[in-house]
Amino acid sequence: MMLDHFAAGRTPVHRLDPVAKTLASLVLILATVLVRRDHLLPFALVAAALVCYFAIGRIPVVYAAKRVLIVSPFVLAVVVLFPFFEPGHRLWAVHVGPWVLSVSDVGLARAAHLGSKFVLCALTTLGLLATTPFHGVLEGLARLRVPRAFVIQLAFLYRYLWVLLDELMRMRRARAARDGGLGPWSLRFRSHAGVVGVLFLRTYDRAERIYWAMAARGFDGRLPAPPTQRMTFKDAVFLCGVAALAAAVLTLDRVAYG
Amino acid sequence: MAEPSLELVDVRYRYHAGAEVLRGVTFSVAAGERVGLVGPNGAGKSTLLLAIAGFLPAEGRIRVAGHTLNRSTARDVRRHLGIVFQDPDDQLFMPRVGEDVAFGPLTMGLAPDEVRARTAEALEAVGLAGFDDRSPYHLSQGEKQRAALATVLAMRPQILALDEPTAGLDPRARRRLIALLQNLTTTMLVVGHDLDLILEVCGRAILLDRGQVAADGPAAEMLRDGALLESHGLELPLSVAGRG
Repeated sequence: MMLDHFAAGRTPVHRLDPVAKTLASLVLILATVLVRRDHLLPFALVAAALVCYFAIGRIPVVYAAKRVLIVSPFVLAVVVLFPFFEPGHRLWAVHVGPWVLSVSDVGLARAAHLGSKFVLCALTTLGLLATTPFHGVLEGLARLRVPRAFVIQLAFLYRYLWVLLDELMRMRRARAARDGGLGPWSLRFRSHAGVVGVLFLRTYDRAERIYWAMAARGFDGRLPAPPTQRMTFKDAVFLCGVAALAAAVLTLDRVAYG
Repeated sequence: MAEPSLELVDVRYRYHAGAEVLRGVTFSVAAGERVGLVGPNGAGKSTLLLAIAGFLPAEGRIRVAGHTLNRSTARDVRRHLGIVFQDPDDQLFMPRVGEDVAFGPLTMGLAPDEVRARTAEALEAVGLAGFDDRSPYHLSQGEKQRAALATVLAMRPQILALDEPTAGLDPRARRRLIALLQNLTTTMLVVGHDLDLILEVCGRAILLDRGQVAADGPAAEMLRDGALLESHGLELPLSVAGRG
């Protein structure tokens, strides 16, 4: 499923200026990350805001959950280990052979804290990408003066990642059609290496052909794109609202924490 | 007689330390003329196309729309020469079809209104009106090929150069493309193995083999000359062979 599967919607949050949405996402992520340890009330505030945003944008819960799960393995490993390694009051213990794994209250709280931060940041990013077509995100980045080379890279990644994966799939199929998945492992390893090598060469050739196609139409290192959208009053209100939310989250955190 | 749109005099090219791919190609194409460039694999057709666009440092003289091609004029030359490359996935490099069609006009420095008008006009011309926001990845092969043509038409080139435009198209998509090409009035250089296409679209054909012009004349005559075609690794177009 494409990253911006629901991005073609026409809801009020879809219509917001990508620049406003990008800035708002950054502000919200920053506030979430800056929350101090171990109490969840500020997170609840962010979560409530995100729920409203997703509801207005009509982004299905299942879709959002799947997207977050896909990026979660990196963080999940750490979150799962926390309760066992953080010292604190022992809540319960698991016996695994000669070892005793004990779960501490501090560890559990910290895992919840870290887990919440991860899920909220992932959802915030998803909120931006799911309600903004990718070209809108790129245009937003360009208007925010993100270095051009970086924006062009992203544009090409988005355009050619699937073309490349298709190519890889075809090559793997062609190989599987002949080796039947059998054969000595050394031979299979070599053919794997071969596929990678050929894919690299093909990509290199394609890059050259794309460059020719671009140069044939006058490319001189700049991607000319007049902005199609501007910040309006509504966008400014949205951005101010998110900034106020971020301030509320941080204040709540500081006050409640002492 | 008016100056030819495209003029090649003794064009030669050799890949680094390799065999000579173009060995003295000479021909010219008049304004409004449609020429099919045919020949077996490895004859140098695609190389010649790249040389005309100034991507390869070929020897000899190449004039495109009144500009003599050299390192400093390559950019000007490409303004007048619209090349549609063989693989539309290479041609369509922007995230959206509309942006891709607008790319050429924008690099030409045209005003935003003019760019919009030309984009709409080009997409309309190839039957893809309303495809602006589509991702090229999600188009069918036929749609991709027509979108690739639109990216070049939007620049209103004096010469259109197409490399194997019907490769990978099913009969209906191919038929549609042929009808489209027949309706264009631009000078055209069509490279390819699809001799039926060339017979239908082009008045004149040039046969390239081993880097040289082996024959040059009316397409209707050359493409019916079975002996000539066979001696250069080609065969009669189906439409002709079927009748014989």
